[in-house]
Amino acid sequence: MYERAAMEESGPRRPIVGWRTQWPWQSAVSDNNPMGRSDADVIRRIRSGDRAAFLEFYDRYASLLLSVAARVLGDRREAEDVVQDVCTQIWHKSSGYDAELGSLSSWAVTLARNKAIDRVRASTRRRRLLEEVAIAAETPNEAPAPSANELLHGRERAEQIRAALADLSADQRQVIELAYFAGLSQSEIAVRLDQPLGTVKARIRRGMLRLREQLGDAS
Amino acid sequence: MIDERTEESASAYVLGALESDEARRFEQRLEAEAELRQLVAELCRVSELMAGNSPALEPSAALRTRLLMDFGERVPSERALPRRSYSTVLPWALAAGFAGLCLLFGFQSHGLRERLDVRQHRIDELSQIADTLRAERSDLRQTVLSLQQSNRLANVRIAVLSAQLKTDPKAVAVSVWDNEHQSGVVVVHHLKPPPTGKDYQLWIIDPRYPTPVDAGLLKVDSAGDGRVDFKARRPIQSANQFAVTEEVKGGAASPTLKAMVLAGA
Repeated sequence: MYERAAMEESGPRRPIVGWRTQWPWQSAVSDNNPMGRSDADVIRRIRSGDRAAFLEFYDRYASLLLSVAARVLGDRREAEDVVQDVCTQIWHKSSGYDAELGSLSSWAVTLARNKAIDRVRASTRRRRLLEEVAIAAETPNEAPAPSANELLHGRERAEQIRAALADLSADQRQVIELAYFAGLSQSEIAVRLDQPLGTVKARIRRGMLRLREQLGDAS
Repeated sequence: MIDERTEESASAYVLGALESDEARRFEQRLEAEAELRQLVAELCRVSELMAGNSPALEPSAALRTRLLMDFGERVPSERALPRRSYSTVLPWALAAGFAGLCLLFGFQSHGLRERLDVRQHRIDELSQIADTLRAERSDLRQTVLSLQQSNRLANVRIAVLSAQLKTDPKAVAVSVWDNEHQSGVVVVHHLKPPPTGKDYQLWIIDPRYPTPVDAGLLKVDSAGDGRVDFKARRPIQSANQFAVTEEVKGGAASPTLKAMVLAGA
């Protein structure tokens, strides 16, 4: 459902990321946010037109959204445009969010990632992005800068997440990042890496399940 | 029990790596299988954490200002919001001012790399800060003026308080005073916590009184940030200026002026 809204704006291509339908799951962080009111309360107030609530949402998640969009786009200015689009969509179409479909942050991150991928697909930057992903996969530990997770979850938790990602094999990390940050399908990844499709699928599965296992408490 | 093939599909699904037809088929299964929904939910959370491992970036103050101004003008007609009141306008006016100050900090945070360039860089930086501040204050005044014309904010005064101590040059605050309600809000940023045994105290300068009027203590956290709702100890007719001084613990009846920390009009 969330992606449908995004796709309506960006036009049809290969659909981006999951969450296209209705299924219930519990929010992992939304109702216990240490930084202020719960996400459920924030979105309820946003729906009633409370701009202060929107500002609270913005202060809480704008950095995360900008970080994700910039990671995909490699362009801070354009990433800010994406964040503005996402915020505008959340403000004007907050009815598109259903708490049963996931946390507010997950919804917002999905919107940001999808809008950024749309822009990448519409531009000629994909080649550069693919090269960067390939390089990043080979150098997993060179990330001394604070991450968006550090702002949201604290240094210790961010380190745990970073360590879990670093613990993946280079092959697993590469296919996951090509899918998520470069917007490639499994088939496209297989062609790009000149690997059998089954190998790509297996690497994605093993990598994601390993992350789920290592990040258990937050998953 | 979820088999490996389904796990592959679920993993690819949350990463957006399934083709359109595969995704549609997978969604049909999702609607029917609770266990699969649970797996996808967990993997979605993983993907969100992975996304959050990206280097942290702080949005520019300009972005925040764009959103605030955009929503401030469009929303009422589109969403039939209640008429603006003090309680709704004040935080946004405050936020707009604070956004400008964040921009100011952005300029201030640029360090000077070479010693020989320090003075020239400092002059440039201060010029930019002044321009930015003037522009932001001009925007704020313009906004306030337009609102005043519609009798919405006729009694609200917004002031930017700048640092007065060389030892704390980055300190800055925005004060918004509502004369009709005789109350206000002050937001402070980058103000070092007071020394042991001392407190920061806010004052309102009203020409009606010979001495500044006590507006209470100003608490800041360890990062130097704080927000305080305040009221004046005496009726205020015209809040011409605001100041923050360092006083003895618990505050003083009148400012000692030994340490003027922030001031502005």
